[in-house]
Amino acid sequence: MVIAALICFGALVVAWIVAPDEARTTEHTTNALEPELAPIG
Amino acid sequence: MPEIDAGDTAWVLMSAALVMLMTPGLALFYGGLVRRKNVLSTIMHSFFILGLVSVTWVLWGYTLAFGPDTGLGLIGGFEWVALEGVTGEPSDVYATTVPHLAFMAFQMMFAIITPALITGAFAERKRFKAFVLFAVAWSTLVYAPIAHWVWSPDGWLFGLGVLDFAGGTVVHLSSGVAALVAALFIGRRTGLIAPATEPHDVPMTVLGAGLLWFGWFGFNAGSALGANGVAANAFVTTNTAAAMAAITWVTLSWLHRGTPSVLGAALGAVAGLVAITPAAGFVTPAASILIGLGVGVACYGAAQLRLRARVDDALDVFAVHGVGGAFGALATGVFATTAVNAAGLDGLLAGNAGQLVTQLLGVAVVAAYSAAVTAGILFVINIAVPIRVTAPAEEAGLDLAQHGEIAYQP
Repeated sequence: MVIAALICFGALVVAWIVAPDEARTTEHTTNALEPELAPIG
Repeated sequence: MPEIDAGDTAWVLMSAALVMLMTPGLALFYGGLVRRKNVLSTIMHSFFILGLVSVTWVLWGYTLAFGPDTGLGLIGGFEWVALEGVTGEPSDVYATTVPHLAFMAFQMMFAIITPALITGAFAERKRFKAFVLFAVAWSTLVYAPIAHWVWSPDGWLFGLGVLDFAGGTVVHLSSGVAALVAALFIGRRTGLIAPATEPHDVPMTVLGAGLLWFGWFGFNAGSALGANGVAANAFVTTNTAAAMAAITWVTLSWLHRGTPSVLGAALGAVAGLVAITPAAGFVTPAASILIGLGVGVACYGAAQLRLRARVDDALDVFAVHGVGGAFGALATGVFATTAVNAAGLDGLLAGNAGQLVTQLLGVAVVAAYSAAVTAGILFVINIAVPIRVTAPAEEAGLDLAQHGEIAYQP
């Protein structure tokens, strides 16, 4: 059971490493919403 | 065989719940301080750590921090990995009147909030993926060893007599120094209105500070690990120091800037809570007034210096937790008295000047270790995953660029 739990967590770590990063999200989402959000900040 | 005490168990479990609430409270505290385009990402740091470290603590964090020592007082062994052998029966080492699992859960909440404190330093510009890897590495390589050194009966700093009732060095100094290193490593935010950004939601920050203050009763009074007189003393000193530091900070800002700052009241209260943390169960209520006054002055000064410095510790983590934690640890060496807690030690004012030297050693060691290992972790992660987001992402805001969500509709 302990080994299974460690493997499950390890799988999550691998998923975090290979998961999409900001570039894809930024390109996709910012283009759609930036005009409205531009004054913020 | 130790026996379970119902009152002690109830108090420790309740305290664990109180300390758990501090991390969402911290999320609000930090969330209000950033610009509105980064509020979700800032809240997410604390909330994700709540999940992340809960799991790593069960799997390996607890056994590294509190497991049977490997021989040199540096780290626990793997006997309790995934909580093997940690049961509803009391430990024969820690909190011997409560179930071992209750003590583990209480300590878990400390392990959760400590890396969350650091996130204020790199707010508004840290890549989420890098943050996740950093949180796992830091809680394993920095928090667990330091907790073992100071709180395990076999820990080498414990053996030297370093006093830390509830985490002035283990939690606040370690995270405050790590925050300074992280801020130096990641660099200044872009697009700030000099000298610092405007907090986007001061009521959110004050609400967060209120939740932190409330939860801190579990943090400090719970660290008595029993429903007893030491817990009551810690409860009173905690509240008194927070109160004194809050009104001190407000007074200083009133004199210095001409207005009694609401934000200053929140920051001052947290500074007081930080400083009393290592001392709460060792000092008298009168001493806690002096500690609150002193840390209010020290942390206000540190925050003013930060505004002039080029280092962008975005949310004053070092000024409040680093300076406050060190101040509290040293104050413990001055004000501690066995009249309050027979299991503690006397400090300078009770005739034991050596305790102040011991506390100074503890502060130096914890600060140096945290700084060195934090820098190493950041360096290695930065090779695999850039710590900082791209300039367009920073400009758009991390809520949108990293999480694809926004906090407030236009």
